[in-house]
Amino acid sequence: MRKIAVIMSGNAPHNRTFNEPKFNKYITQLIYFPEFEQTVLEEFDVLLFPSQLNEKLLMRAANKVRSFANNGGIVVAFGPQPWEWLPNQKWEERETNFWWWLEKGAKSGLVLAAPHYDLFNYLTLTDATWHQHGVFWPPNGAEKLITTEDGGAVMYVDKVSTKGTLIITTLDPDYHFGAYFMPATERFLDGFIPWLAEGKI
Amino acid sequence: MTTKEEILILDPGNAFGLERRTNPFINDNMTLIDQYDLDKTDLSSIQALIIPEFVDQRFLAIHKGLIEQFLNDEKLIVFCGHLYIDWLPGASHFIPKTINHHSDYALTIIKDQGIFAGVDPDDMTYNKGVSGFFARGHHPIPTDAEVLVTLPNNEPVTYIDRNTTKGTILAHAGKDLIWYYKQNKTTDRISEQLLQWIHSEINALHQGSKNI
Repeated sequence: MRKIAVIMSGNAPHNRTFNEPKFNKYITQLIYFPEFEQTVLEEFDVLLFPSQLNEKLLMRAANKVRSFANNGGIVVAFGPQPWEWLPNQKWEERETNFWWWLEKGAKSGLVLAAPHYDLFNYLTLTDATWHQHGVFWPPNGAEKLITTEDGGAVMYVDKVSTKGTLIITTLDPDYHFGAYFMPATERFLDGFIPWLAEGKI
Repeated sequence: MTTKEEILILDPGNAFGLERRTNPFINDNMTLIDQYDLDKTDLSSIQALIIPEFVDQRFLAIHKGLIEQFLNDEKLIVFCGHLYIDWLPGASHFIPKTINHHSDYALTIIKDQGIFAGVDPDDMTYNKGVSGFFARGHHPIPTDAEVLVTLPNNEPVTYIDRNTTKGTILAHAGKDLIWYYKQNKTTDRISEQLLQWIHSEINALHQGSKNI
């Protein structure tokens, strides 16, 4: 099983989500973000950055994150990323489609772009469907797992920008589960966290 | 009259909070500071501190002495969010509501204190027919706190505590009250009315007669 460290902002949703026993049992260490610079990362295989982290701490962490990835590590990031701290990050902010499911003949706008990927033995596209805050435009050679209908990446895996692996998604299940809202986000984490720990990436 | 320099709002530095840095209502009426600058800021002239839902509560717990001193200097704190660690005097940790039906989120305004004047409780409970945006649980209240809003089993969502310290605490177990605007509903009144209440409560604290 991979050793996963999760970065903690100190906000209430992160506290709930990553201390939830069914997720916490897959986590080796919770790292309080203000202490990230002083934390030795050698023992970890995966660093998970949940959504809504502090801008200044993200920018300060960027080089250490890149080094971790270049040592073969797996870096995961959830949620909208208005600040460029991830290698080759190309984020496009879009109006959030909060209400698509109330419309007649509703479509979420999500496309399962890589159904063969092992992640989808752990969760379905429906489990990843609530709303999107924007898309990423990953570099050539990265694999898009979930996209919008116009090809923007809602989730992608990038094994070309560093010597490790970046798993980047606009989705923010950590916030919604932690704020006691939106059941799909719990199903997403029920699949995603075990896959991260033991699945084929 | 309290100036905007005397009302601080913490910026957790998160993506959802980015818009607040340029929002006219925020910038015209209060001063936004990075949450991690709180302990480096001279609070002697500050009268009110607004603490939003995405705040780093571990940081506040490290500085709980500063929070307590601020209140005992007869000042005001507004906190919106889910308390999970001890830093706010008299306050208990958030308890989520068990939900069996969407009406379990239905809100009642017990006392508006001006903040919820003219606000339709259904506009608080429902957003496009979906319930649960406003609050999904409560904080058990300190002794003699004044309850403003409740969930169906009288769980106190919003309360004012003027007894635990020499100052005033408004605690709300939900999304940021200062950010209710431009939804074309009666809840749009909340941000402006909360600001007015903050001003009048500061005046009352200065006069040594907390608003009843």
